[in-house]
Amino acid sequence: MRNLLSSLVLGISVFVFSSGLAFADGKIEVTDARLRLLPGDVPAAGYFKLHNGTDEAIKLVGAHTGAYKKVMMHMSMEKDGMAEMHAVPEIDVAPGEDFEFAPSGYHLMFMKRSALLQYGDKVTVMLKVEGQKNVPVNFKVVSPADM
Amino acid sequence: MLKRLCLPLFIAFFLAGCTGEDWRTTDISKTMPPLDFKLVNENGKTVTEEDYETEGKATLLFFGYTHCPDVCPTTLARLAKVTKSLDQDLRDKLQVLFVSVDPARDTPQSMATYTSAFGPEFIGMVGDKSELEDVTNRYRIAYSYDEPDKDGNYTVTHTSAVLAFDSQGNPAFMLLQSDPDVALKGDLTRLIEKGQG
Repeated sequence: MRNLLSSLVLGISVFVFSSGLAFADGKIEVTDARLRLLPGDVPAAGYFKLHNGTDEAIKLVGAHTGAYKKVMMHMSMEKDGMAEMHAVPEIDVAPGEDFEFAPSGYHLMFMKRSALLQYGDKVTVMLKVEGQKNVPVNFKVVSPADM
Repeated sequence: MLKRLCLPLFIAFFLAGCTGEDWRTTDISKTMPPLDFKLVNENGKTVTEEDYETEGKATLLFFGYTHCPDVCPTTLARLAKVTKSLDQDLRDKLQVLFVSVDPARDTPQSMATYTSAFGPEFIGMVGDKSELEDVTNRYRIAYSYDEPDKDGNYTVTHTSAVLAFDSQGNPAFMLLQSDPDVALKGDLTRLIEKGQG
């Protein structure tokens, strides 16, 4: 029943936001959004490209979604042959600039899955931008083999 | 006259150099010990390197943890992608051992579930504290745990290199994150073909 409900909520979300990546105001554009799902109860990573088409700097301060209990902005870095990961509280994107969340760099870390997800599903994630309305983005659920 | 003699000699040395052990990634044949471990595989069975040297397969050895959302799956996916680009007969002669440096959270079961996303040649391994210390010290693999957050989640900082061994367990090369896929593919092909004699 819970799974059904989750699917339903997810389905409705997909319907509502399926108009998709081009936002009505066309100001902050997010493309190539994908959630890399791994089997088992382990965190997933989210990647995307963000374009700040507004004429002001924006500050990305986090994200949330109905499909996971917690979402954090993280950055992986390589230092002296060691892979490290840090939480990133905020990311500034200058007007006209692009910012990419990509493997082995910036990523959203999705923790504690609360909905049943399958490869090919769409998950709506709200990106939180300081002083602005949340930006809804559809993330496609992908397998690590498809990246 | 001298020139005529030198040129073929030079070419001969050059070719010898190319067919030697100079990998496109980093050579570890003199700096790392042979494959040697005692761990528990993802089927819950205690195993040693001998269990993985019987089929004449080359081995890739990588250390990480399943709660790693970015670097570990990215590395494993990269290994899977390059492996898939090899001819089937070469692919059959390769295994990837993924050893958890997070024994508090990883189990044979969780490793099995995790590695299933990458392919049948990927095999998860866990060990108790002393088994893990033994194998990580041997290959100079470092790892450390961050402070857990209020929900008990923590990240693990760990060596990101992938070590490659030939079918007899001799150390061959080390893949760094910065090495291009084409270098890995070339070295893997050579490593496996060498094992086939």
